[in-house]
Amino acid sequence: MTNRSERLTSVGIDVGTTTTHTVVSRLLVETPPGGAASPEIADREIVYRGAVRETPLVDPETIDIEAVATHVAADLEAASVDPDTIDTGAVIVTGETARRENAEPLVHRIATDAGRFVAATAGAELEAVLAGRGSGAAARAAATGETVANVDVGGGTTNVAIFEGRSTDGRERDGARVRETRCLDVGGRLVRFDEDGRLSSISPPVRLLADALELPLSVGDRPDGETLSALAAAMADRIVDLLEGPPFDPLTCELAVGDLPSDPVSLGGVVFSGGVGRLVGSPPSEPFAYGDLGGPLAAALRDHERVRSWPIREPAEDLRATVVGAGTESTTLSGRTISLEDALLPLRNVPVADAGDLSELDGDALREPLEDAVARLRELHDLADLDGVALSIPAVGPLEYERLGVVADVLATAVDSLPPSLPVLVVTRQNCAKALGQLLRRRTDRPLVVLDELRPRGGDYLDVGTPIAGHRSVPVVVKALAF
Amino acid sequence: MASDANSDADGPEPTADRDAEIETEVGDDDDQDGPDEDALRRIADRTPTRLGVGRSGPRPTTESLLAFRADHAVARDAVHSRVDDELLAELELVELRTRVEDADQYLARPDLGRELDAESRERLREECEPEPEVQLIVSDGLSSTAVEANVPELLPILRDGLADRGISVGSPVFVEFGRVDVMDAIGEELGADCCVILIGERPGLGSAESLSAYLVYGPERGTATSKKSVVSNVHDGGLPPVEAGAELVELIEDTLAAEASGIDLREDDREFRES
Repeated sequence: MTNRSERLTSVGIDVGTTTTHTVVSRLLVETPPGGAASPEIADREIVYRGAVRETPLVDPETIDIEAVATHVAADLEAASVDPDTIDTGAVIVTGETARRENAEPLVHRIATDAGRFVAATAGAELEAVLAGRGSGAAARAAATGETVANVDVGGGTTNVAIFEGRSTDGRERDGARVRETRCLDVGGRLVRFDEDGRLSSISPPVRLLADALELPLSVGDRPDGETLSALAAAMADRIVDLLEGPPFDPLTCELAVGDLPSDPVSLGGVVFSGGVGRLVGSPPSEPFAYGDLGGPLAAALRDHERVRSWPIREPAEDLRATVVGAGTESTTLSGRTISLEDALLPLRNVPVADAGDLSELDGDALREPLEDAVARLRELHDLADLDGVALSIPAVGPLEYERLGVVADVLATAVDSLPPSLPVLVVTRQNCAKALGQLLRRRTDRPLVVLDELRPRGGDYLDVGTPIAGHRSVPVVVKALAF
Repeated sequence: MASDANSDADGPEPTADRDAEIETEVGDDDDQDGPDEDALRRIADRTPTRLGVGRSGPRPTTESLLAFRADHAVARDAVHSRVDDELLAELELVELRTRVEDADQYLARPDLGRELDAESRERLREECEPEPEVQLIVSDGLSSTAVEANVPELLPILRDGLADRGISVGSPVFVEFGRVDVMDAIGEELGADCCVILIGERPGLGSAESLSAYLVYGPERGTATSKKSVVSNVHDGGLPPVEAGAELVELIEDTLAAEASGIDLREDDREFRES
């Protein structure tokens, strides 16, 4: 038997603090010979790179959604791609743009326009991971077995993803595992200048740094070179601290987005990507060419004593790392044995609650985590607006008929309190979706999808597409919607 | 439906102390083309085969020689032992035999393992429901260990699923010293629409517990192997037996609906055959 393959057209769209880009790629899905192996994405080829465009704003707090939509439509037309033929992909709103008031309607609108199964996403951690996959840092970790950090320095934020190679788990894409992410409110466009070199805007994170350094900065000032160098150096210090900690400087903690890790990590490679990260390796001739602090920040990083000692590696993609990641790396495939009701698919923006590892639990102790997970879904979401809800059950225990029956009993009861027409996705890491699906089907009439060999976390969202590879698998985007 | 290992699916996480060995300091910008000390271990971690086990002079080390002999003994036991009578009683299987007289003859005469002996044919007629939609057959084949390890998990969910779909299973049987094609003879005798045989596979040094399920639509003696579907590599480290049971339910449903099995069942295989 030969490998069976099919191609998916995938789009990636990144609406960042400073720039917006679109890429179109083709994903090659192969099902290895033999019936028990799961289909996998065997190759990713970028077929179109859209122009880098300034992210259009109506005012400093509002993205111009119509203008972004026009850009994307123009790019797809230039790529000769009809949105109806786009199979998958992701729109991500990143950096400071994700905090704009209309960021949420923006991503949903752009995702819907771009194709029938394009995921709307937002979140610094997801951005960090996509950038690291797009830049080639993850592939490097997989190929060399090194622990590799991708440092994506953009206009609004700096997002670090640390990848570990040598995964022995065949389902980990490209053999690289995300160890952790570290995100910081430091970027080149947190300060902007007008044509006369006067400060036209100062974002709060820079205000915090300037106050700590006792640098006098006000909108309308024309700060001298020394002041700006000191500010850029202070920003570079935070980025260095982000990567080399813990322990972390209190200022780093204050500027951090999300949690910082409690353990330091030894790095075998560091890759810089992003609009500012790109300039670390190739400095611009005119540092203020972009009307912001991107050039000086890149220079401060390049000249930083600590950075000079890092094992810097060349990125495969720099400026477009995040969009390439969104276009080529956002889609995963479920395990081969899945339990579906086709009519329910696709499902979009399905929130996940994690019930945790159930392996050792029985009786009441088994009921509680499932009931708690359902309660969290009820509490955090307006169920009436949802395509469905997902329960992540990393492990159910031994894959035995009797055990699965017990879990199915408890699970069917736990979801009973949800509206009867609301689809429930059960996602397990163990290979038991068909068995669990069949057992659940005997116990509940509600709409149900069971997927395996996936491991979303609580707080993630899932988009689940229609089956591919001869009905053997569904494309899934495990994502964040954090605005 | 032939199949391969997806045994990596739930493969072991790297252990903590292995992770601890990954120590490259920040700033250690060593030559990227230098020797990769861990490469062999990384390759060996991905497979249960005996890679990089070392040697002592021209011979295997005592440790790996003993491990080899122990695994080989397990494989031989799987071939030569019998399926526990209590298990067969528990599963309420009608017990049949092929024309094979003992384990040695079983290995030497595959042809005898495809036909029931006279007494079993008689019992089939007397004790088994004729013309079921699906005749379920369990056989020791080359590994009675595989039957004992997998069938107790696989059979109940298979029966549940078929019952849910209103598919009749007749009287499930156990055949001692059976070959895959014994399902052709049993199906023909009973006039079954379709037969499924759960049979122990040739044990290897990696697993002696691997079971396969073969399926044929419209069984009659001499049906070509290409007309048969298979779900293979059923064991704890491969396709878990309970999941295999649920998968078989869907395969049987497809088979009955298409009135076809093997290469006749699959669209892509049909194209392959016609091209």
